[in-house]
Amino acid sequence: MFFYYLDLAWRSIKKTPFLSLLMVLAISIGIGITITTLNVYQLMSENPAGDRSDNLIAVQLWSQDKDAWKEFNAQLTYQDAYNLRKSDVPTRQTAMFVTGLAVQTEDPDFVPLLESVRVTDSDFFNMFSVPFIYGKAWDKSVDTEAVYQVVINEALNQQLFAGEDSIGKTLYLDSKPYQIVGVTKTWSPSPLYYDITTGAFKDSAQIFVPFSLAPIEEFQSWGNNQSWKRQSINSYSERLSSEMHWIQYWVEVQDDTQRDEYAQWLKRYVEQQQLLGRFDSPEAAAKLSNVEQWLEINEVVPEDNKILVGLSGLFLLVCLVNMLGLLLAKFLKRAPEVGVRRAIGASRAQIFFQHMVEVGLIGFGGGLLGLLWAWGSLSMLSAHFDLEDALTQLDLTMWVLAPTIAIAAALIAGVYPAWRICSTNPSVHLKSQ
Amino acid sequence: MLSMKNISKVFQTDLVETHALRDFNLEVQEGEFVAVTGPSGSGKTTFLNIAGLLEGFTHGDYFLDGVNISNLNDNKSATIRNEKIGFIFQGFNLIPDLNLAENVEVPLRYRGFNAAERKRRVQHALEQVGLAARMKHLPSQLSGGQQQRVAIARALAGEPRFLLADEPTGNLDSMMARQVMELLENINKAGTTIIMVTHDAELARRAQRNIQIVDGQVCDFTMYQGGARQQGMGTKADKPHLVTDADKPSDESEQAQTEQAAS
Amino acid sequence: MLQIKPILSTLMRNKSGPILLLIQIILSVAIVANASFIISERLTLMDRESGTAEEQVFDFRLYSFDKNIDLESQIQRDIRAIRDLPGVIDASTTSMVPLSGGGWSSGYTVGSSEETAKDTENTAVYYGDEHMINTLGVELIEGRNFYEEEVLTGSPDLATHGIVSKAFAKATWGDDTAIGKTMYAGDFGNMPIKVVGVVDKLQGAWVNSDSLDNSVILNIKLVNVFTKVLVRAEVGTLAQLKQEITTTLLKDNRNRVVERFTLISEHRKRVYRNHELMATVLSMMVILLLLITSLGLAGMVMFNIERRTKQIGTRRALGAKKRDIISFFLVENYIICVVGGVIGGLVAVQLGQQLMSVYSLPKLELIYPIATVAGLIVLTTIAVILPARKAANISPAIATRSV
Repeated sequence: MFFYYLDLAWRSIKKTPFLSLLMVLAISIGIGITITTLNVYQLMSENPAGDRSDNLIAVQLWSQDKDAWKEFNAQLTYQDAYNLRKSDVPTRQTAMFVTGLAVQTEDPDFVPLLESVRVTDSDFFNMFSVPFIYGKAWDKSVDTEAVYQVVINEALNQQLFAGEDSIGKTLYLDSKPYQIVGVTKTWSPSPLYYDITTGAFKDSAQIFVPFSLAPIEEFQSWGNNQSWKRQSINSYSERLSSEMHWIQYWVEVQDDTQRDEYAQWLKRYVEQQQLLGRFDSPEAAAKLSNVEQWLEINEVVPEDNKILVGLSGLFLLVCLVNMLGLLLAKFLKRAPEVGVRRAIGASRAQIFFQHMVEVGLIGFGGGLLGLLWAWGSLSMLSAHFDLEDALTQLDLTMWVLAPTIAIAAALIAGVYPAWRICSTNPSVHLKSQ
Repeated sequence: MLSMKNISKVFQTDLVETHALRDFNLEVQEGEFVAVTGPSGSGKTTFLNIAGLLEGFTHGDYFLDGVNISNLNDNKSATIRNEKIGFIFQGFNLIPDLNLAENVEVPLRYRGFNAAERKRRVQHALEQVGLAARMKHLPSQLSGGQQQRVAIARALAGEPRFLLADEPTGNLDSMMARQVMELLENINKAGTTIIMVTHDAELARRAQRNIQIVDGQVCDFTMYQGGARQQGMGTKADKPHLVTDADKPSDESEQAQTEQAAS
Repeated sequence: MLQIKPILSTLMRNKSGPILLLIQIILSVAIVANASFIISERLTLMDRESGTAEEQVFDFRLYSFDKNIDLESQIQRDIRAIRDLPGVIDASTTSMVPLSGGGWSSGYTVGSSEETAKDTENTAVYYGDEHMINTLGVELIEGRNFYEEEVLTGSPDLATHGIVSKAFAKATWGDDTAIGKTMYAGDFGNMPIKVVGVVDKLQGAWVNSDSLDNSVILNIKLVNVFTKVLVRAEVGTLAQLKQEITTTLLKDNRNRVVERFTLISEHRKRVYRNHELMATVLSMMVILLLLITSLGLAGMVMFNIERRTKQIGTRRALGAKKRDIISFFLVENYIICVVGGVIGGLVAVQLGQQLMSVYSLPKLELIYPIATVAGLIVLTTIAVILPARKAANISPAIATRSV
């Protein structure tokens, strides 16, 4: 029977091509707009940590004086990071910041590249599940006893060493030789949750060097550097002992017990620092956030996107109301035919389903066309605004979501017209026309 | 076959209550050919709609082929319409987008026959009305008489026990009307019970039995016995004109309903 | 002859169609009013001028990783070489670039005594020399530029003289002149900076900051392995200068990276990208919404005409002129539009309130829903007239035809 209805639906659509096109267009534009905004929203609000979201914890400290900032800063001071690294409560932990270094190889003709470099600890790779092609992270001992070792990513390895196993080779960073110990696979979580301070939708760094080298090599910070205190900082050592916030800090815990234990440890740390004259605020405290909370408090999804999703939802609603009106008109015009079918023995349910199949078919068409709109508008926006690819790829789920929403929406819009037509008294329309 | 006892039908509008049928009684035996006449607004159409299970009724009992119709749900009455009743309308009511075969096929679809069975029955039904060769034509390509024959084929395809015809020749010229009438008589001879509503006294006379509805009630009925009672019928035919005005509300309520349904 | 009464009764009788149109118009007004309000707000934001010669000024970054050079004299040499290139109007090192989204900002202490001292609003801080003003192309409206001998080299803490933007001067000293005033980089009395000049307009780097127009230029040539250089050159010479500057600088010393040449106008485009994106998407939405609403309306009118063909024919037979038939449909439309517009306006204001309370949007101005309703009336008039003219052509003879 379904195929009979499908056949009837197709005939009916062909019979009123303008009106059917109008309805398909209405729903497809609604779907197109909704999917466009939803796609960006979805990509922005994704939690790339997956099931490790609860194990990875960002650490914040309220170290400022009482009249300074009114909220936790996203980063820590170097001295706090340095002290926190001594805790043995977390399973893994890393302090980090981003810098830029000139990259050279042993080839004298190689034109130096300025690359962004993440300065971090060996735990970083395990914590954030960084996959390796060759080698592995530097040894844990390097985190305390600095060694000139480096991990690079697949793309840079391709560029510098034609993709071959480069473990043991030398890379010059700011003219200093570093030994390559690992090559990571292409890996770039989006949003870049472990460091959102300078934009959450950037690519991951190409190069990783040990944090323990920072005081020796005096790596500049390319991230945000924020001070609540007026201090004159004229040397790297002054920077390291200043109250400037510029280090990101993450720990990994196995469960809530360990998390609580770490919270306790931090509480004692704050108290101890207060004895030393720091953390001079009644609000002085530590704050722990898992990945989900971290994305939330840092408002990774911009307000604009939420507004757009909301407005496009309303837009879809208008399209549905529009479609509902047209369907009603179209179906009721067909009342005489329906009267005949009813007289001949079609039950209300059969008439209802016949019309719902037609509506569903229109919805399906609208969904496919809407997907095309969404794809078009995303590519157009991405080309015109030079957007990050991570935000403009049509997500796989949308291929399912678009027709589903379209059909569901169309069916909702179709219920009333279909009900009206199937509940009309057939005898009214059987008298001669 | 068909038995109506004390059927009444009341149309309720905001202002008036209209009795379209009141204490309507009728028995039709299997194999009968019954003609129903009556002035417009007398309740003919209401009777036909109730008989064909297109409308419910307010009071009374209605048995069709032994089944009590009073409290059937929509599904069951649709099944009965589909399997036991065939409809023929004054306006033919073919579905204009479907070709002849597809039109005849409609009731068979709802009955759930498989493709082979549908094909066989469509073929057979169209042969009966002499239009098997034009299966692929659209209704608009046929004359009125041909269209009505297709409508009859559609009614026959389900092999119903019972045909309801509403002014089947009303839109046809006299020659075509005669053809259609002969077709109906042949169908009746083959065993199908027919109830036909008509204005045309001459046509009505060709039925075995005449019923006149006046003011929502069976006024008189006559067995077909040649010309014996014709005179009497003629005098009565004047009377309905007097009641037409009194019946007006019924007409209006129907119209109001049409308007509402079309909105 | 406006037959409002019969139209109203027609509307009341066929409830579902008009109600659907009404809902559609209410929603459309609510969405379009708010969306166009946001669009115009964003366009206003994007329209603000930075005060600089945006098409002429570009910046690039220079990273020297050679540890064995005298960085100070190297940078001096570089800047001089750049100024000598043909097409270059002027050049200066800088701590930040207008509209670039990244840079330095700070508050300063001002006042006449320790007790009355207060902090200024946050302001963007440009460190540069006496060429800075000319390089940026900003207009000095009061006081003077730095003298060459006033400019110091090295750390930001050395700053002694400042040129401030008019907005900053006004926010800090009101109508009083800023020239000769002192502000402190440290607490009151520490690290004094004397204001010597005021520029008409100079924006900072963060376009979403409330204090975008606040900026100061301090008399320091920064010395850092990582240096930003501002160059002002003839329009259209960037591509060529990019080559020449890179070649010139690398010829002097190979151990560095010269990259990211960007015009301020390009920074502008990037930094306002999200606003432009928002405005674009919302405009798309508004246009499509109006399109759909009017197409839907036209479709409904067409159906109504078909359904009422006989009625229209009867009216014509009874003496209605074509004009009367069209106005019948128009008046019907206007009733729905006005009722929908009023309710839609209220919903729009309500939606605006919600958006304002949840998000950092300003309050919806009433003119937007009003303009939307007005626009909708014009648009729907077209959407109605086109099919209604067809209705007016229905022959009166149709009334007498068929049963």
